[in-house]
Amino acid sequence: MRNFIAFIKRFRVFLFFALLQGITFSIYFSYLQFPKYQYLTSASLFSGNILKLRNNLTKHFYLNYNNSILQKENIALMDSIPSSFIKLDNGLVKINDTIFNYQYEYTPAIVINSTHDKRNNYFTLNVGSKQNIEPGMGVFSSNGVVGMIHNCSEHFSVVKSCLTKDINIDVMVEETGDFGLLKWDGRNSKYGTLWGISNDSKIKKGSKIITRGGGKIFPRGIIVGRVFKKQVVEGKPLWDISVKFSENYNSLQRVYIIKNLLKKEQEKLESDTPINKAK
Amino acid sequence: MNLLIIHSIRFFAILIIQALILNQIEIGSGIQLMVYPLFIFLLPVELNIIYLLSISFILGMSIDSICNTYGIHTSALLSFAYLRPIIFKLFIPRDGYDPIVETNIFTLGFRWFIKCFGTLLFIHHLWFFLVEIFKINELFFVLQKVFLSTPISFLICILLQFLFIKKSNEI
Repeated sequence: MRNFIAFIKRFRVFLFFALLQGITFSIYFSYLQFPKYQYLTSASLFSGNILKLRNNLTKHFYLNYNNSILQKENIALMDSIPSSFIKLDNGLVKINDTIFNYQYEYTPAIVINSTHDKRNNYFTLNVGSKQNIEPGMGVFSSNGVVGMIHNCSEHFSVVKSCLTKDINIDVMVEETGDFGLLKWDGRNSKYGTLWGISNDSKIKKGSKIITRGGGKIFPRGIIVGRVFKKQVVEGKPLWDISVKFSENYNSLQRVYIIKNLLKKEQEKLESDTPINKAK
Repeated sequence: MNLLIIHSIRFFAILIIQALILNQIEIGSGIQLMVYPLFIFLLPVELNIIYLLSISFILGMSIDSICNTYGIHTSALLSFAYLRPIIFKLFIPRDGYDPIVETNIFTLGFRWFIKCFGTLLFIHHLWFFLVEIFKINELFFVLQKVFLSTPISFLICILLQFLFIKKSNEI
């Protein structure tokens, strides 16, 4: 016993150091997979408010650019409202339409903190669970996909962006319909990688890449980017396709959050199939 | 008491400089600027290492919580604080350290500062990028990040001392 106490006394500094390192690494690995609390992320009230203050000071720097984007979006929306169409057939009467049902709900939000040069880049948004935001929802902007909600508190939420190691968004090539997973190699914020397309399919340079809508998060058809170049993976029958993102993550300001209203229904149906039940 | 106030002001100042200014500067090719080790470096020489480790844990966690890095900064800063007394002993000046005098660039000289702080900052950056990337096959990318970031962080640390620390001994 005396030897044990002597041992602890002798190595107490190193033991304390190892203890703190252990705490840090356990926090790091558990938060990377799935954040349990909001305290240690920028979704916490303290960090969130500091970042909101900073955004209030700096948001005007990109005002011109953002205004032009909003204007373009407004024009596109104006084109689609009924009053901008001429009625050709006066005999039609609008009845309560039962063919179409709401599936996706959109919430606008502002990015108050973002990075694009780190290994894993997270964005902080100014909306939280009070606006019905939950972890796992999709985030996109008018130019393309941004990411998924990773963690949220009452007033803030953290987005796991496309510039993260294991984002794995379900995407496909629009022309051919081949689908794969979107990944990021951690180097350049302009290019991502499309993984999992077999090398017998013909992929043209410049073809559009959109979300597939299979992951229950994004609807089909949100643009991700364009094929920049393709290479052969050694030893595997796959293409290594590099994708140029259509969104410029360096100056991202306004985003929309998608809520899939039918997600629970789909999940329940899929979990009832025999293959998933056996797991 | 006076020292306590100075160091607590420095704590918040370096937290704000790191989290709100330097983390937003993204030059590209993997350069990341980190100056918060300077705060741990400037703490009194005689301070017990247990306190040193606790302070660096708190500072690291507050930076991590704002930057969403979940503990990489803390881990690197803890290794910095643990190695500080060892490196100080290694590069001890001829007449030892004066416990009253702060260990900044003016009191102990430019050459000593480069040797001591440079070594510690290099270890800190190496640790940080190794934990962040955590892959053997990207070792060259880690080294590229370390060798590009360390000199720039070092220059900013020197600049901060010239801006905010008075040259006279009374601090």
